[in-house]
Amino acid sequence: MNALSPGLLLQRLRFALFRNSLRVVMGQSLPRVLTIILCSGLIWGLLFYVSWMGFHELRTRWDIPLDISLMAKVFDLMFLALTIMLIFSTGIILYASLFTSPESQFLLSTPIPDDHIFAYKYQGAVAFSSWAFILLGSPILIAYGLEVGDGAPWYFYVVLPLFFLGFVLLPGSLGALCALLLVNLVPKRRKQVLVAVVVLLLTGLALWGVRALVEASQNQFGSRSWIDSFIEEVRAVPDRLAPVQWIGLGLRAAALGEAADMGYYLALVWSNGLLLYLGTVWMARKWYRRGLNRVASGGALRKRYGGLWLDRLAQRVLFFLDAKTKLLIIKDFRTFRRDPAQWLQILIFLGLAVLYFANMRRFYEQDIGRPFQNGISLLTLAATSFLMCAYTGRFIFPMLSLEGRKFWILGLLPLERDQLLRGKFAFSASVCLLLSLFVVFFSDVMLQMPGRVMIVHALTMIVLSLGLSGLSVGLGACFPNFRETDPSKIAVGFGGTLNLVAGLLLVILVIGLMSGPSHYLLAADRETAWPAWWVWAGVAAGAGIGVLAAVAPLKAGARNLRRMEF
Amino acid sequence: MIELDRVTKYYGNKLAVDDLSLTIERGELFAFLGPNGAGKTTTIKLLCGLLFPTSGVIRVAGFDLQTEGEKARQLLSYVPDQPFLYEKLTGREVLQFIADMYGMEATKARRRIGDMIDIFELDDFVDDLTERYSHGMRQRTVFASALLHEPEVLIVDEPTVGLDPRSIRLLKDLLGQEVKRGVTVFLSTHSLDVAEELADRIGVVASGRLIACGTLDALRHQAALDGSLEEVFLKLTEEGENKRVVSRYQAPPI
Repeated sequence: MNALSPGLLLQRLRFALFRNSLRVVMGQSLPRVLTIILCSGLIWGLLFYVSWMGFHELRTRWDIPLDISLMAKVFDLMFLALTIMLIFSTGIILYASLFTSPESQFLLSTPIPDDHIFAYKYQGAVAFSSWAFILLGSPILIAYGLEVGDGAPWYFYVVLPLFFLGFVLLPGSLGALCALLLVNLVPKRRKQVLVAVVVLLLTGLALWGVRALVEASQNQFGSRSWIDSFIEEVRAVPDRLAPVQWIGLGLRAAALGEAADMGYYLALVWSNGLLLYLGTVWMARKWYRRGLNRVASGGALRKRYGGLWLDRLAQRVLFFLDAKTKLLIIKDFRTFRRDPAQWLQILIFLGLAVLYFANMRRFYEQDIGRPFQNGISLLTLAATSFLMCAYTGRFIFPMLSLEGRKFWILGLLPLERDQLLRGKFAFSASVCLLLSLFVVFFSDVMLQMPGRVMIVHALTMIVLSLGLSGLSVGLGACFPNFRETDPSKIAVGFGGTLNLVAGLLLVILVIGLMSGPSHYLLAADRETAWPAWWVWAGVAAGAGIGVLAAVAPLKAGARNLRRMEF
Repeated sequence: MIELDRVTKYYGNKLAVDDLSLTIERGELFAFLGPNGAGKTTTIKLLCGLLFPTSGVIRVAGFDLQTEGEKARQLLSYVPDQPFLYEKLTGREVLQFIADMYGMEATKARRRIGDMIDIFELDDFVDDLTERYSHGMRQRTVFASALLHEPEVLIVDEPTVGLDPRSIRLLKDLLGQEVKRGVTVFLSTHSLDVAEELADRIGVVASGRLIACGTLDALRHQAALDGSLEEVFLKLTEEGENKRVVSRYQAPPI
């Protein structure tokens, strides 16, 4: 090779691609860029404010000093959760990027060494999977820095990004190692092995969480001793996962002005991160091309797909739709379940939900007071709604774009183009309604919530299922991206970000208007005032906003679809 | 220059390439023909090191692709049937990237890029992002990138798909010139006229097996038929079977 090393060459390529993409975006629509920046800023600001308020409350109202080791344990939990998410997201993105993308096939047919191609792809995948970590983690930690003691020293804010960058190397490399091992060792059974690992991991986490809660429940729920006991119980696991602790301990040391300890943990994070990265790249030199060969050669030349019973089940579930719409939905269903990158993320979504409800179950079994019942019920409603918002944003919004360059096939079918949207809307709304109503109803029954609150909750879920589905399908048709084949990248584009922000606002508004008043009455112990007109006015206003959120984007999307040329 | 020694490739338990042995000399244009699913693309991916043979050895310029792949790939260029271009790069930036990748000296790279732009008539669009290119423009840019670094071996999969007659003529002339320059060309195609006009030797593959290999005259002799390459090919691969299938198909009246 020439004086320009392959690594430098690929970095130059990345820079040129980024520069040109930026020029295109800026040239096409400056408001679009400004909206993305504004939305990101809004989310960051909101999270910062909530975190800052939370830390302030802990310090002033609950009298929990933020400089005690307890906070390091809280950070351990946060970073443990982030580590698991980063391992999976990097692994999934890297798998698709290394083994199925046309760019990889192109680069592998050139003289660029395999480990350089791997490193280039790895850096892209880690950056892509951890941007949310930076966006969501930084406001929490900056808020912590402002509230701890008399305020953290200046260098706390300087080392914060350094800790982040060093830390993401660890889960990123682990995810990459998992992807490499999977394709090399079990190329024929890689999906099954992955599902088994995810299920085992989530079960383990759920059991661990439940155990910690059982032990903590010896004390009065919500008291200082309850929190101490809970944290004490969960410390056993992070102790065995030392790398997860390093960043928490390092940041705590930085916040308290213990520079030597901070430097020690920073060095520990970086040296281990880089070592693992180097090990992964070394392994990729031997196993990347071999893995690609094994993925291509592992199964039959032409894979036979079965699963007709699943299609028949879907046909029965969707009995209320016309034949053509059903056909379109089943096509989407088939495409979805044959793409591991898609259903694996659903599995992780569901796993996290199971984890949440498995832990919540402890509260149901205890004789807890009405205020806590009220709070937990609202929390469950909000958590289900936010999960639904994430689900529609990640899986429903990209559906139309995923038709890709073959969209003209659908465009030529003897059916109205609006029907395409109606089909996707019906699919999304059916799934959301089924899951959300079940979860919220189950939770309310266990918490022995009053019947009228259950009705209000059910109405809220119906409105949100329809509203979020309409929003995602409609905006998906307004901002289609037929060039991108990776749904996760479509979901974080301009349209996807707009959809997410609009969805979050819708959730806050609808819950605030529809369920907020009844929870206020419960909290204020004014249940006798129930038939208050403003409770029902709130329900009506929330329903109106929900309907508007569903109809307006669907209409705009349908208009855009009718005008679309192929 | 290219040597396949008893190469076999399985996908699971399905045999894709069956005991293929072949030697292609420097400066030879070898056309690789076969029905759909015969194993042509698999063979090409094996030649580029994108797949490994289940058994057997492949060498390019004496380098074993499995153990010295990087050295072999330094000498070859691959144009796949669905070529890849970075959509957010201009044609010129793609060419510059290729020049840098193959370690071309800056002055020579500039001159060669200019030559390629002239030869493939890229001037009108070379500074546009490739995402705006038509299929023909993409194909011409891909060929320009493939020939830019003066490869010793050119592996081409279905080069004429989507090209207009003028571009096909240009491509044929260019492949002829490259062969005269000493480049070894391995060409997989369904365009029998291209193979008939350009190929020094033709290999016919069916169900993973090389069923015929030689000059057009040798193939005619093997098929016991003095016709065009199309007739010889159909006879050899027994695709005359198609006629029977077509006669059995009766479309309903419109």
